[in-house]
Amino acid sequence: MMKIIFIASGITLLAGSFLLVSNAAATDDYDVKAFGPKSPIVWTKPAKTSFEHRPHTDVAGLECKACHGEIFAMQRGVAQKTGKFTMASLADGMFCGACHDGKRAFASDTKCAACHKIPDDPIVWTKPVKAVVFFHETHGEKSDLKCVSCHDGTFPMQVGVAEKSSNFTMKSIYEGRYCGACHDGDTAFAANTRCNTCHIGRKGYDRLMGRDPYAEKDGH
Amino acid sequence: MDIKNLEKEQNEGIESLPSDERRKFLQMGLAVTGVFLGGTLLSLTSVSTAKGRNADPAIPADGQYPYTKHYGMIMRQNHCVGCEKCMDACVETNNVQIGHGAWRTTIQERLTPLDSGREKREFRPILCNQCNRPPCVRVCPTKATYKDPETGIIVMDDKKCIGCKTCMAACPYNARYYSHAKHAIDKCNFCIDTLLAAGEKQTACVTSCPAHVRVFGDLKDTSSEIYKLLHKPDNKIWVIRPDCGALPNVFYMNA
Ligand code: SF4
Ligand code: SF4
Repeated sequence: MMKIIFIASGITLLAGSFLLVSNAAATDDYDVKAFGPKSPIVWTKPAKTSFEHRPHTDVAGLECKACHGEIFAMQRGVAQKTGKFTMASLADGMFCGACHDGKRAFASDTKCAACHKIPDDPIVWTKPVKAVVFFHETHGEKSDLKCVSCHDGTFPMQVGVAEKSSNFTMKSIYEGRYCGACHDGDTAFAANTRCNTCHIGRKGYDRLMGRDPYAEKDGH
Repeated sequence: MDIKNLEKEQNEGIESLPSDERRKFLQMGLAVTGVFLGGTLLSLTSVSTAKGRNADPAIPADGQYPYTKHYGMIMRQNHCVGCEKCMDACVETNNVQIGHGAWRTTIQERLTPLDSGREKREFRPILCNQCNRPPCVRVCPTKATYKDPETGIIVMDDKKCIGCKTCMAACPYNARYYSHAKHAIDKCNFCIDTLLAAGEKQTACVTSCPAHVRVFGDLKDTSSEIYKLLHKPDNKIWVIRPDCGALPNVFYMNA
């Protein structure tokens, strides 16, 4: 008897969700031709950025050719390959900067998070030592820092750039580079104190990656 | 014998420490200033005037360390970031066959929850303490493990080892393992055969440490860094499990 009730309610739920789906489809008729692609354009280089067509077309009233042609090739990946797709060139009026100049649209050096997503997950560096963590949350939301306080002057936003530099060491931090720009004992705790606030060790790294830090490494 | 469990113990007052223990460290030129972690850690400070003057054979009679060289290590513990580069270097240099809990040096981690919801993280490197009164040597039925009179290092004679594991059980520091490659017990020997014998002055773990946590050297050499750290007035130094009476030659301090 119980089983029958379960099956019956299952069918009702299923039917209900079909109704919901078809309803949504009916009200949200996204006009790809007029609005451009529905899913956001996501660039991963030089830093993760996303772009929604609809706020620019449907809401702001731009025609496709307002951008596609001289400013942005329609073909995927072209902007990234130019090597000029940077915040500096935006400030010079290229790409998004053609409109995002503070007059026609908000300036490209403001409202960073409108296009760049602040990572929820901690940033984890494994070189030169395993491993160091950084939480945007502690530095942004819980302090007065803005994105530009660190990016890109102190810290390149692009994943892996700092790590690849031979300069990404405690020594250069003590000299005021990278974290050392603030972690000087004045603005924030000195970089040669409280080591394990950021250094989580290999065990901490394993745990972060969902592995048991005490598991035998040879597999038996 | 499991050091990990000992770390969970509560703090206790200095009264709990037998005066006998205090005396033993005084003989080594170190005075006890505090007891932490259920007596597993002592805070020590050097007493330059209190060098050994006692009949105990492990302790120098006239303030001298008893071995030709008297090797020891001091850890600047709060600088350890748990990167385990020392472990990798040790495994490679000394051909440690990892698995089955085998290590010559390892890193202990302690996490203490903080009010902020985060955790306080501490790392502690451990290895054989090259004890002055080594329980492992005392219990070995074949004299396969002994204290090298030249260096004070506790070494293994693999050929004599019958693999009975009595020393493993006797070691208060869990510092020994059975090597399936050697068919004998293996342990840290301060790289005596791999590096010191080749004229190197440092162990693999010392050279590989990016944070200069480990300071290795001859305690008899008054110009050595370890001697200076150990005998710096008011430098707080401690050892692990002083209560076991093995008299370690591996010391800890915060830098
Ligand atoms: S730490 Fe253990 S193995 Fe090393 S000398 Fe002391 S008792 Fe022996
Ligand atoms: S190499 Fe140095 S900092 Fe890294 S775990 Fe070993 S002792 Fe600690």
